[in-house]
Amino acid sequence: MNPAALDKLQDWSKAGHRTVQADTLMMLAAEHPEVVALSADLTPTARLVEFKDTYPDRFFDVGIAEQNLIDFSAGLALEGLRPFAVGLAAMVPMRPAEQVRAALGYMNANVTVIGIEAGVRFGPLGNTHYAMDDIAVVRAIPNFTVIAPSDPLSTHKALYACIEHEGPVYLRLTGGPGYPVMYSEDFDFQIGKSIEYRPGSDVAFISSGSLLADAVGAADILEDKGISTRVVDMHTIKPLDTEMLDKVFAENKLVVTVEEHSPMGGLGGAVAEYKAGVVGAPKQVFASLGDKFQKLGDHKFLMKENGLTAPDLATLAETNL
Amino acid sequence: MANTETVDLINEKAALMRRHVVEMGFGAGGRGAHFGPALSSIEIVASLFFGIMNHDPENPTMADRDRFVQSKGHACLALYSALGEAGYITKEQMATFKGDGSFLAGHPTRNPQYGIEVSSGTLGNGFAVACGMAKAAKIKGEDHKVFSLVGDGECNEGVIWEAAMNAVKYGLDNLVAIIDRNFVQLAGTTKDIMDVDIEALWRAAGWDVLVLEDGNDAASLLDALAEMKDSSNGKPHVIIANTTKGKGISFMEGSLNWHARPMNQEQYDAAIADLENAKTI
Repeated sequence: MNPAALDKLQDWSKAGHRTVQADTLMMLAAEHPEVVALSADLTPTARLVEFKDTYPDRFFDVGIAEQNLIDFSAGLALEGLRPFAVGLAAMVPMRPAEQVRAALGYMNANVTVIGIEAGVRFGPLGNTHYAMDDIAVVRAIPNFTVIAPSDPLSTHKALYACIEHEGPVYLRLTGGPGYPVMYSEDFDFQIGKSIEYRPGSDVAFISSGSLLADAVGAADILEDKGISTRVVDMHTIKPLDTEMLDKVFAENKLVVTVEEHSPMGGLGGAVAEYKAGVVGAPKQVFASLGDKFQKLGDHKFLMKENGLTAPDLATLAETNL
Repeated sequence: MANTETVDLINEKAALMRRHVVEMGFGAGGRGAHFGPALSSIEIVASLFFGIMNHDPENPTMADRDRFVQSKGHACLALYSALGEAGYITKEQMATFKGDGSFLAGHPTRNPQYGIEVSSGTLGNGFAVACGMAKAAKIKGEDHKVFSLVGDGECNEGVIWEAAMNAVKYGLDNLVAIIDRNFVQLAGTTKDIMDVDIEALWRAAGWDVLVLEDGNDAASLLDALAEMKDSSNGKPHVIIANTTKGKGISFMEGSLNWHARPMNQEQYDAAIADLENAKTI
């Protein structure tokens, strides 16, 4: 990480993940000459204007052309550069899914694809702008790492982990303005190594993305009722931290996976796939977006609609325990 | 003008490569091969590997090598036959084409130690990746060139035009695309499938365009490639090379039936006879 990040946490929390990733890319570019950034006509949206102005020779806007965004990034990576391709999560891994597979996954290219405004963060813009299935698509591609960080500092640290990582990464960002600060001091962030955010023996919330704050809120509600609740920040969805899952399956009575994604193929799906082979593992329930196109509404409305607020999560856990 | 000695060398290599294409494709048995689109490309690939590109089979990943990206991946036999003739891969390895566990699949898989720069097969992507490689060379201040072989049918793909526009934006004059215009794609002629003026499209995208009336003629290919390799006019270059699908095998030439299929013994014998006859002419 860059130590300056700690001084920016409150600003980053107010601004949301777009600013966190853009500021972090600036820091990475200053430290690593091989870092380049790309966008497909989303430079202001992705908060990359400063990057473009500061590093005009290391920033590429390929136009509204996501397929080429991915292929062009792959070509840069094969020649030793470190591209970060930023786009809307609804589009950047989905429109060019075949390029993501053939050019990034198959060639194990060192490209980090950053999907901003994942899940239903785009609220009133409607379903074409929601990313409810992106994890499922990318997770199925060999060689890919999928990370959904939970807060400003973990987003920052995830990007620093990407630069050291060999192979393609999909960094899935949720957490808009008001991005909760879950980590206010430096901590150990390793790709594939989840974080036990708090211990507990009855319920275990296994969370990805910015819903960690809501899982912790739900845990508070349950603890007040005498239900011991563990919360795990499963920031890396692939590779999955099976060591932590083994511990959870052995020690907790109910697993609740929490994510802003379809119940199919995301964190919940990944946990269920692993759990299928664990004899005696506890029941799992899925807190997720439904397998449906959503109603129109702002993010808060949609979280409530899908049962993803802290009280909803607490009720879901309590009724299934 | 290309000297006679080089032209003779390319023609000699092209003849050997055609033989490899037939042998490897026949060797694949019922798995078949894309004979037609490989045979149309032979002089283009031979001119690059044995006349134009700076490369060294003894040092396949040397930093200043020119890059060859086969975007029309289905014509992999053109590449594999050149890699065999150049010494990147052995005859024994060539004989494994499409076999279980072989690294020589029906579409190229990135394998720089054997001279395969980019995985391709899903059309359009190799070309777009090649554009990224050319940009990387510019960023790093490296002088090598990137050559990409593209099919005329492949120009139906949207990503070709996304990448073509982008290459002009970034002034990739270190990039030379060669369109193997054999006028036939999988399901029919290019005229029947998508009748467009690709020359006009490439010009409209802003490329430096050269049309070769005979893209199976080594002398004109060498001249065109040398000219474009040396050009630093700020524009990416494209040679639209008019070729004959299935070139060199009489019953395949211009045929809609030899895009991809298995070859039986009788057809193999006839193909070899064609190649032997060509030697004596």
